Amino acid sequence: MLKQTLNRISSIGIPKALLYHRYGILWTTFFDRLGLDVIVSDDTDKGIFDEGERASVDECCLASKVFMGHVASLIGKCDAIFVPSYASVDVRAGFCTKYQSLPDLVMSTFSRDLDVVSLVVDSPIDGKAMREAYLKMASELGASSKQAKRAWKAAMRSQEAHDKAKVASQAKTFKLLEEYKRVAAKDASGKISAPLAILVVAHPYISHDPFIAGDIVSAIEDMDAVVIYADESDHAKAYQASFDFSETLPWIINRELAGSILMNKDRIDGIVLISAFPCGPDSMFDYAVMRSIRGIPILNLMIDAQSGSAGVQTRIESFIDILRYQGSGGYLNAR
Amino acid sequence: MQDDVNDITSEQIRSKVVFERSSKRHHIPGPALLKKFKRDRHKTHRVSVFRYAYYDPAFKFFVEQVLDCEYLALPPSTKRTMELGIQNSADDVCTPFKHMMGDWIEALELGADILVQVGGPCRLGYYGEAQESILRDMGYNFTMLNFSHGIEQGYFGWGKEVLKTVNPDIGIAHGVKQLLACGHMLTKLDQARDFYMANAAFEVKRGEFRAAWDALMDDMRACETKHDIDEAYSRGMERMRAIESNRPKDPIRIGIVGEIYTAIDGDSNLDLDEKLIDMGVEVHRMINFSNRYTHYNEPNLRRGVSDYVRYDMGPTSTITIAAAKKYVDAGFDGIIHAKCAGCTPEIDCIPTLRRIGEDARVPILYLTYDTETSDTGLMTRLEAFYDMLAMKKEKIRK
Repeated sequence: MLKQTLNRISSIGIPKALLYHRYGILWTTFFDRLGLDVIVSDDTDKGIFDEGERASVDECCLASKVFMGHVASLIGKCDAIFVPSYASVDVRAGFCTKYQSLPDLVMSTFSRDLDVVSLVVDSPIDGKAMREAYLKMASELGASSKQAKRAWKAAMRSQEAHDKAKVASQAKTFKLLEEYKRVAAKDASGKISAPLAILVVAHPYISHDPFIAGDIVSAIEDMDAVVIYADESDHAKAYQASFDFSETLPWIINRELAGSILMNKDRIDGIVLISAFPCGPDSMFDYAVMRSIRGIPILNLMIDAQSGSAGVQTRIESFIDILRYQGSGGYLNAR
Repeated sequence: MQDDVNDITSEQIRSKVVFERSSKRHHIPGPALLKKFKRDRHKTHRVSVFRYAYYDPAFKFFVEQVLDCEYLALPPSTKRTMELGIQNSADDVCTPFKHMMGDWIEALELGADILVQVGGPCRLGYYGEAQESILRDMGYNFTMLNFSHGIEQGYFGWGKEVLKTVNPDIGIAHGVKQLLACGHMLTKLDQARDFYMANAAFEVKRGEFRAAWDALMDDMRACETKHDIDEAYSRGMERMRAIESNRPKDPIRIGIVGEIYTAIDGDSNLDLDEKLIDMGVEVHRMINFSNRYTHYNEPNLRRGVSDYVRYDMGPTSTITIAAAKKYVDAGFDGIIHAKCAGCTPEIDCIPTLRRIGEDARVPILYLTYDTETSDTGLMTRLEAFYDMLAMKKEKIRK
């Protein structure tokens, strides 16, 4: 039988994978304000991934295997593990079914006695329903209604502030790049050039996980190009903009990525599209992007659990070299 | 000005002649004029639906009776269908997408101008749009009736979508009535198929069940009303029930669970059910169209497996797990889990299925179907699975 989780717990573990990279601040603040010790798992490394791979079915995607590794690393370190179920009920703003099945997947994989604290969120854009779900979970944990409401308010505020700061920093980067371009345009000798702006389009748990995409991001930065993350654009605006890209795309994260491409396409020099093998939503989304976004060079990278980074580096280097050559008028005019 | 009047030509004079009628005429005799119908602006459409297991009579009924259009039946799929599908799809998309792409291209080659695509909660919800854009890039001209549009408003939205894209002249009352009949047909087809799978292995004279099934399908294809459907069903079931059977006392029983397209569709799963029937197995399969859509009660199903799952895990996950639980409780000999390559919700069911199998000591065979066309490998695995189950049964009996 599954155990009901009640107020026996004093510490809660949060796996640093999948939606942590989107709602991490919200979760940590919420549990912190409820008076629990929050233990976030370490950054992904080879050990965590190997552990996750052992615990997963072969056909699972890379990100899911990483998640299982994080859960495994938390077992024994805390009283309970927080694994939410973000459902795909909203047909225009759903999630991959992976997030929906996570609590049951974790319990079936590890142990049915594992203390899993969970909740169901039907739609990520329905703030009211999301609040209800969190408050319900808090009351199940034994928190008073007042405490829960306060914790929610604080959590939501810090998450919003965090997202806003990211949007602001992106805007600042773009402004700086524009100024660089102005300086480069004024320079008659042609020696000064503005750095290339590369939009990294990937799920946040790919692009911000140093184990999965760290090599790619650092390879771009080593080439003196500027990395701009598509998932750091304003979520609400990007979601609205994505309806110009597709009417029926069902996944909210992919929608925000598509919206970010459309919003920023005049300010960037190239797109690096990263997906983890074998990602369900990306298998269709990336294909759609490759076919329908024209006028900007796109590099489509599929990453698996490879141990070497030389292959990825070569591809990034050649991609950026090509962008530079094109920027200076083709191979013959290359400086 | 005065000069102009004097310069009147002979033609203009003629036009100035006016007939004076004594009484005003109200009615000019002639044939009844054609009333202008909205549908006259639309040509008759040839509508095609993708190939999906034994559901083509229901699709035909839907197109002819609900949409009031011409139904374009697709010939049986071939290796070429598959190849067309593979060539024109993304590499790592799930397999039904490729099957459907092949179907669409063949339908368009045969002259279809409307394609009907369903919507769904997983990647299926994006199938329609992705396929439409790929086909348009290939140069085909068509309309896609995509039920992913209008899904926010449910049946109302879908109704508007149908009126807008296909036929603005459908009588609403008639359409709804026939739509219900179509749902009824799906249920009846599933019921007949369940009976067929459970009994076809034990026929005395080989091929009788197959012939009865084919006759039932033909009968269903000719249906025009709900009454026809009921009659066709009764006739077909009577014929199948009358077939002489030598069912052993305790036959090997296998339950098929899995993803809704691959577990049912013979083209995708290389006729899994027929292969098992040929081995003399009683086959059960809870997952089908009517159990998933017409009579689906997810919370209720989940309550039966609350020992194993807490939440709804995905589009067909609950029915997969509930079916597996039902089969182990009923003392089945084995379970086969069939899914297409890359089906995320069904992959996530595997750990839970493993637990169910371990707890009840029932073997489960996991099959992942990709776009392969040779069934030798499948046959070997099925035979080995069958032999294992038969040996286990023998041992228990002793």
